[in-house]
Amino acid sequence: MQTINPLIRNIKRHWMLYLMILPGIIFYIIFKYIPLAGSVIAFQNYQILKGIMNSPWVWFDNFKYIFMYQDFYNVLRNTAIIATYKLIFQFPAPIILALLFNEVRLMFAKRTLQSLFYLPHFLSWVIVGGIVFEVLSSQGVVNTIRSWMGFEPILYMQQERYFRGIVILSGIWKEIGWGTIVYLAAIAGINPSLYEAAVMDGANRWKQTLYITLPGIFPTILVLFLLNIGNFLELGFEQIYNLLTPMTYSVGDIIETYVYRAGILQGQFSVTTAIGIFQSVIGFVLLWIFNRLANKTGEGLW
Amino acid sequence: MRISASEKWFQTFNYIILTLAASTMIFPFLHLLAVSFSSPVAADSKEVFLWPVGFTLGTWEHILQNSGLWQSFGVTIYVTVVGTFFSMILSVLTAYPLSRQEFLIRKQVMLFIVITMIFNAPLIPFFLTVRELGMMNSLWSLIIPGAISTYNMIIIRTFFQGLPKELDDSAKIDGCNEFRVLFQIYLPLSKPVLATIGLFYAVGYWNIFQRAVLFLRNQELWPLQMKLRAYLTSPEELAQVNLFLGDYDFNTTTLKAATIIFATVPILLVYPYLQKYFVKGSMLGSLKE
Repeated sequence: MQTINPLIRNIKRHWMLYLMILPGIIFYIIFKYIPLAGSVIAFQNYQILKGIMNSPWVWFDNFKYIFMYQDFYNVLRNTAIIATYKLIFQFPAPIILALLFNEVRLMFAKRTLQSLFYLPHFLSWVIVGGIVFEVLSSQGVVNTIRSWMGFEPILYMQQERYFRGIVILSGIWKEIGWGTIVYLAAIAGINPSLYEAAVMDGANRWKQTLYITLPGIFPTILVLFLLNIGNFLELGFEQIYNLLTPMTYSVGDIIETYVYRAGILQGQFSVTTAIGIFQSVIGFVLLWIFNRLANKTGEGLW
Repeated sequence: MRISASEKWFQTFNYIILTLAASTMIFPFLHLLAVSFSSPVAADSKEVFLWPVGFTLGTWEHILQNSGLWQSFGVTIYVTVVGTFFSMILSVLTAYPLSRQEFLIRKQVMLFIVITMIFNAPLIPFFLTVRELGMMNSLWSLIIPGAISTYNMIIIRTFFQGLPKELDDSAKIDGCNEFRVLFQIYLPLSKPVLATIGLFYAVGYWNIFQRAVLFLRNQELWPLQMKLRAYLTSPEELAQVNLFLGDYDFNTTTLKAATIIFATVPILLVYPYLQKYFVKGSMLGSLKE
């Protein structure tokens, strides 16, 4: 009663605050917590007509099934490979660009360049995918340049060997500029007296970048890295879906596109939910491991 | 400050690299724009670069008369306007109590919300929930299930927390209730942050695609991005005529180029505002928790 009483008094006095937040609470219950609880269908043989209450429980059978299923390994391999490439090539790209921006002295040039680099972030993957297909098509710009140099045209989008590279390059193209914002803010927050002292000691711009700017933004890099690791296997449905063709399924079909096809289109609800849980667990385990490592070198998320 | 020769070289190199990279950001649009005004023969023979070859308005006449494209354009405008309004109302109403000291359970509610950022439900149970609610083939499926972006809501809350407390004390003495404090004192003072978050939501709704893929089977309800995707994957549908059976001043190449430009122009028109407020907004987010 001791703890309940103040709450009742608080509700009576500030009932309008409780009324205001009610729609938000209902939103989170319906669209976040109910689907979270609904994940139990991964342990059932869920049938839409019977519902969660009456569908038979199969416990870990769905998980056993996906690990015996060759297609799943293929999809998992594609996802893991693309995710690793992204971490190696796409993650550092905005850091490098931010460092290059930092060396631009003319404010006018800096603003103009930034405006151009931010633009693709606001476009949908449908548009960016369309552009990628056009640029790489047989009459596209890339093949036009190849023809000037006397090379045969290449159908990039239809060939397995180019697909992952295209995913990474298009991802960098779309998000590199936007990604610099947080790093530029971190650079702006570095104490200017550090640079003054370094200049006194005879450090040139390169030494200043190496010994002041990079260590200065290291905490930001670490936090963003950890947030990325937490979603390691979530590559983004929209990008892959808009770049994939039947010719590139074998290298480009990822968990999210597979879940869409097998789950939504073919109705294998339980199996694909099990895959979704697997995906989240991997992300969580990776986050936990890397956070422990981060705590040793600097500061982790917790 | 002395500048060494190597640093001068680096400066020049840096400007060249950045300018080249930046030009790739705008070049595809200029190219597609040129293609969309070119004759079909020129477009397919790799002659067009940044300037139209065999100038014709045929492609654009055909595109702008395409009722399907306008229909989906209308749907997207509707979803963007209604959705942004709906999202703003819900986010502000949720953020306000969470910013108030008097709201006893604000920490608990905050935890309840932040947990959903860490533990995200898999796609299928989310899909089934929305389906159970009867939102399949309804434009509400694009709006309600994603109405609050937790990230945006927290930015608004952080801003509210920074407003001086004396303001609402005096308002309360004057007999204002919480709703009036929020709508007549807080919101007018929060215009910059509301503009930013409003634009965040608006761009999200404008580009909405995945939820449309999931929930809308009825083609008449398709937003622009869905229609665009359908046209880009099967441009014959966009042509609406059999291109082999006649001599037209457009073809699938020029039509696709024009469709991409058509969907990009609205974003380009508001881009100056977008950039101004977005950059500010993404800074706001990094301020605190």
